[in-house]
Amino acid sequence: MKKTALSLVFLALAGSAAARGDVDVLARTCNGCHGLKGVSVGLSMPSIGGLPRDYLRNIMKQWKYDERTAITMSRIVKGLSDDEIDALAAHFAKQPWVPAKQPATPELLAKGRSAISENCEDCHGFTGSDPDVGVPKINGQWAKYMELELAKYRSKEFKMPHRKMKKAAQDMKPADVSAAARYFGAQSK
Amino acid sequence: MNAIDRRRFLKALSSLGAAAGASLLTLPEARAAAPKARVVVVGGGFGGATAAKYLRLLDPGIDVTLIERGTLYTSCPLSNEVVSGERHIKTLQTGYRGLAARGVKVVHAEVTAIDPAGKTVATAEDGSFPYDALIVSPGVDFDYAAVEGLTQELSETAIPHAWKAGPQTLLLKKQLEAMPDGGRFVIAVPKGPFRCPPGPYERAAQVAMHCMHHGKKKAKILILDANESFSKKPLFEEAWKALYGYGPTGMIEWVSASAGGLVERIDAGSLTAHTTFDDVKADVLNVIPPHRAGKIARDAGLATLKGNWCEVKPENMESKAHKDIYVIGDACVGGETSTGNGFPKSAHMANSQAKVVAASLAAKLNGLPAPVPIYTNTCYSVVGHDWGFSVVHLFRVQNGQWVYIKEGSGISPVALGTKQAPKPVPRIYRKMEAEYADGWLRNLLADAFA
Repeated sequence: MKKTALSLVFLALAGSAAARGDVDVLARTCNGCHGLKGVSVGLSMPSIGGLPRDYLRNIMKQWKYDERTAITMSRIVKGLSDDEIDALAAHFAKQPWVPAKQPATPELLAKGRSAISENCEDCHGFTGSDPDVGVPKINGQWAKYMELELAKYRSKEFKMPHRKMKKAAQDMKPADVSAAARYFGAQSK
Repeated sequence: MNAIDRRRFLKALSSLGAAAGASLLTLPEARAAAPKARVVVVGGGFGGATAAKYLRLLDPGIDVTLIERGTLYTSCPLSNEVVSGERHIKTLQTGYRGLAARGVKVVHAEVTAIDPAGKTVATAEDGSFPYDALIVSPGVDFDYAAVEGLTQELSETAIPHAWKAGPQTLLLKKQLEAMPDGGRFVIAVPKGPFRCPPGPYERAAQVAMHCMHHGKKKAKILILDANESFSKKPLFEEAWKALYGYGPTGMIEWVSASAGGLVERIDAGSLTAHTTFDDVKADVLNVIPPHRAGKIARDAGLATLKGNWCEVKPENMESKAHKDIYVIGDACVGGETSTGNGFPKSAHMANSQAKVVAASLAAKLNGLPAPVPIYTNTCYSVVGHDWGFSVVHLFRVQNGQWVYIKEGSGISPVALGTKQAPKPVPRIYRKMEAEYADGWLRNLLADAFA
């Protein structure tokens, strides 16, 4: 019984060892800016570990083929093959999502709660931890990063292909942008 | 099966073992008692720290000793913001507790000699350390003698280079604060290659920003350059022009080597830089001397390129001079040097090289096939409160050679639109990258030291 189970483990590992060996090396290069296992400690850099595979794959490919604007990442991903992008997306999707600790006052939470009800909650959920399929978790994502990303959706200078997100971001009142970002950032679970 | 797969396997094994009643809890202790290999890392900057950490991450069975003389490390990246007063130096500093918590044996001592034949490293304070593999990450030394009139003592007291972040960064900041309106701040840039290729030009911008905000609008920042061009040039020139004024009548002026930028001699008493064409009197004189690989690497015979820089193998950063010695960081030379696309001497590049060595050693020490290396660099420069930009590099190894991957490399856009009808880059792009710079630095510090 034990022997069978062990050889199954061996087989499963041997079958994917080659492909996985390469993606581990490649994924380590992402850590410099996005943190070990994709858990960022820099306020303006997003955590990426535990985000949906399709989301990660789509945005990287959209950057690569100039369908979406990223000022730094669009240059980086152009050096990767589509297979590498797929492997990286799968790799980071498998990591646990670790919300960053960003405490907020009850007043700010209340303000944020009202700011997100109209334009965010429908897809991202009440706390950002239970989004629709393929939508990134944003509970405990860095608020600073989310503010910058919302500014991209609200600006005419960026190509942002997700029409629903673009409309939602543009419908937000200017004062709600920061409140919404800080509200989701403060959700530590 | 690479090291990570092996760990996953051990994890799977341990859950199976528990079911079968076997005790695998003793395994880590057994390994600690008899380490499979001793790796010594010389130098605890971005390169050495990353290498030590990732070796422990990839295989806790490897005994890793990091030897570094200092107990507090200050990041050079973004230290120009300390000079201008935009950032507190504490935000760039870290100790070595994070590495110790990962099981790295951190020894604070001065390395006095490396014996490649006997495979030992000697220190001044703590005796000698035998190794199975040695990672040398000593950074650069400054060749003071190359600038007549300059000494190490003068750099520490009156004419700081501030090219290793720390006390000199704070000295230069003080000198800038004391500089009167109408004062002249001279930055002498050495002949390349030097650490942080965009650094001198970012410094010029940070100094200019300080002057603009402190009632010194008549200040002059003069860059005397021993080179004919520089990193991210069109991006710097655009920003200098827009924010501070650029050229003979602007706040920032750049003088190339052929226009008389090469500083051959200085007079410390009168703070004068003597160039090929001219004598330039300064209020603050910031002379960055030429660099070469750290002395310990040169003494060990690792600096095979003109006695200045350490050549290494593309597949794993192993020295071309000595087996089982790996050289990473600013001391090494690599990349596609034949086309002018060598490795930049940057913190992120050192971090990336360190990961290549760690993966290669972890595989080798476990009898596993060598992983395919990949080298990347990302480097942000901040030139104003909301104005930043970056350069990225990607190198792969093909047929035993480094190949610069153009598609995955390059600077922030200089213009949008087409070549025939270029459009200016929106201001918000520069603002975004100024914000990204801080996040990048915090992650890079954590990736190496935490």
